[in-house]
Amino acid sequence: MSAESSVTVFVEGALFLATALAYLTACGLFLAYLSNERFARAGVLAPRFVAIGAGLHASHIVVASLLWHVCPVAGIHFALSVASMLACVVYLAMRSRYRIDVVGAFVAPLALTFLLASRFVGSQVALGDPSVRLKSAILPIHVLVNLLGDALFTLAAAAAIAYLLQERLLKSKRVDGLFRRLPPLDSLDRAEHRFLLAGFPLLTIGILTGTLWARHVEAGSSADIARAGLGYATWLLFAGVLLLRAAAGWRGRRAAYGTIAGFGFALLVLLMYLVRSVEA
Amino acid sequence: MILVVGLSHRTAPVEVREKFATGADVLPVVLARLSARQELKEVLFLSTCNRVEVLATPARADDSRAAAHAVREELARHASVTLAELEPFLYASEGEAAIRHVFRVAASLDSMVLGEPQILGQVKDAYDAAMAAGTLGSFLGRCVNRAFTVAKRVRTETALGAGTVSISSVAVDLARNIFGDLANHTVLLLGAGEMAEAAAKSLGKGARHIRVCNRSFERGALLANAIGGDAVQWDALGDELTRADVVVASTSSKTYVVTQELVKRAMKVRKGRTLFFVDIAVPRNVEPAVHKIDNVYVYNVDDLEQEVARGLSARHAEVEAADAIVEKELREFLSWARGLNVAPTVVALRAKTRAVLLGELERSLASRLKHLPEGDRAALAQMVDSAVNKLLHAPTTRLKASVTESGADDATDYVKTLKHLFDLPEMAPAPTPSEATAAGVEAGAKLEGGDDPGRLPN
Repeated sequence: MSAESSVTVFVEGALFLATALAYLTACGLFLAYLSNERFARAGVLAPRFVAIGAGLHASHIVVASLLWHVCPVAGIHFALSVASMLACVVYLAMRSRYRIDVVGAFVAPLALTFLLASRFVGSQVALGDPSVRLKSAILPIHVLVNLLGDALFTLAAAAAIAYLLQERLLKSKRVDGLFRRLPPLDSLDRAEHRFLLAGFPLLTIGILTGTLWARHVEAGSSADIARAGLGYATWLLFAGVLLLRAAAGWRGRRAAYGTIAGFGFALLVLLMYLVRSVEA
Repeated sequence: MILVVGLSHRTAPVEVREKFATGADVLPVVLARLSARQELKEVLFLSTCNRVEVLATPARADDSRAAAHAVREELARHASVTLAELEPFLYASEGEAAIRHVFRVAASLDSMVLGEPQILGQVKDAYDAAMAAGTLGSFLGRCVNRAFTVAKRVRTETALGAGTVSISSVAVDLARNIFGDLANHTVLLLGAGEMAEAAAKSLGKGARHIRVCNRSFERGALLANAIGGDAVQWDALGDELTRADVVVASTSSKTYVVTQELVKRAMKVRKGRTLFFVDIAVPRNVEPAVHKIDNVYVYNVDDLEQEVARGLSARHAEVEAADAIVEKELREFLSWARGLNVAPTVVALRAKTRAVLLGELERSLASRLKHLPEGDRAALAQMVDSAVNKLLHAPTTRLKASVTESGADDATDYVKTLKHLFDLPEMAPAPTPSEATAAGVEAGAKLEGGDDPGRLPN
């Protein structure tokens, strides 16, 4: 190994560790903030650590892709890593607008999990036949829109979880402690809806490009079909949530459950990719 | 020496306290009267709904009784009552107890509603007024500054100010935790009685619209006019429920005014938009089953009072921690105060020793040692400085220890002895309150080196 590449390996490792540490610190601070009102300062510091983590994470993605000669959007490992980083970036951009600082308490652990999964599950090498991949622009578009969509669905699901917690506390009239540290109920509902609205067109493009790509490579294994089926189910679920909200007033709890279910499906699709990569 | 004389909600009923109601324009007059008294040196006058107090330092340190009596007389004069009439309601303390009292008052530990935040602003106003009137000196000014530090620490390091402790504030807090900002929301008042008016004052403050729905339209219109809202007909309640976001129910109806059916119909039109009921009526106006409807929340008087009780009990649980902060700050302040007496004595001792030695040296240099070159003369002067430092190192260190470790009596005894033995002149420290604020309140910082009268040399 040349001196130059050993330096790159060291930098990549250091960036990975620093990113994980920043996310971990953010998780700890969020946990402290939610557990006791005395740790109000932790609630202020936690999003800053998410920001530090996201910055380091982006640097890590660049360095790692250069080191392994892998396009960040070509393999599922990086895809996971990039999606979680994007979720953090969108969260940071939107947290003040929707007053959803606490949503970081759900985003930070997810970002940490995806970061660790991207390194320790399977190999980082891109999947598929490179010759086929490079000849088509469909795959990068497919992966890119899905990544951004997943990032937005992550935030929508995080807002939905916070909403359900808050709603449960309000219904059971336990309105001290945690209730006061969570964002206002309507802010969470609004944020969840907006993230869903923003992510849905991306998911639609992802589904369309995925279908085209499947025809292009003539994929037909049972896993591929199942994955495509789950993708369509995700689209249908999110479409249903949005449609019922607009037409029948399905807000709040019902919309939150629908959003979490849709995110679960989207996560399953990602996991299936991951399993495929491990098997490969 | 600081003394406090006054009355508060603990010692005097409102009939007595209201006699002291003081407008901002009267404050300088009261301060002028107090500072005109020969018995008083520094004065601060604090007047709130629940408290009237004079903080003062006596003109003569050994005559605090006369100073306290002067304050009593001025308080009686201010309330236009005789001293005998006022005396049963007054409390007084001095020295350590008085400083502790000031710290506890500023930290809202002595407030009627424990932990309420207004008192700190009121103490600050009193401080500003006294500063403007020139009735505040170095010692009392420093004490009140320290009280601000204590109050800030108590607020940030304990949960004394956390939670809500009144029904209206609980309702407002809940509404904000549901809707965030109320600026884009509509508040509907069901009923137009006193309770509705009180609720409108707190809940309607930030709302976009306030609508009043009352059985008697005329009465509803009166309230609507008074609070800047709109009155609506009682029959329009169903429609109003489709528009409102927060509904405050306070009618005297013996049956439910808002039923589950009515709200279910409204929610269909609202397309699931959140609806929050604050039912402060007894008997209740809102059917309890309404709370079971999706996106609808009903809080009645019991629910709100439960929150008030929880808030109060949480605050009471913090008193011990807050008092610990008060005691720690009190010890540091007393240490600084003792340092004020000791530092000038040490400075005077050093100055005298150095002056004597330098005087003797100069005499020798003018006669027997006049042949010495400049370099040697400078070395001798340096030697004198060094000798002063070495000679006075032990007494200085012990005096420092007496300030920080022993009681006030030890330090005072040392000072008296030194003054007597060495025939030292009086040197009064004179930091202004603003200097004191700028310098911070760390007593330890005062005990480090230099010939500043406020500092003890090492």
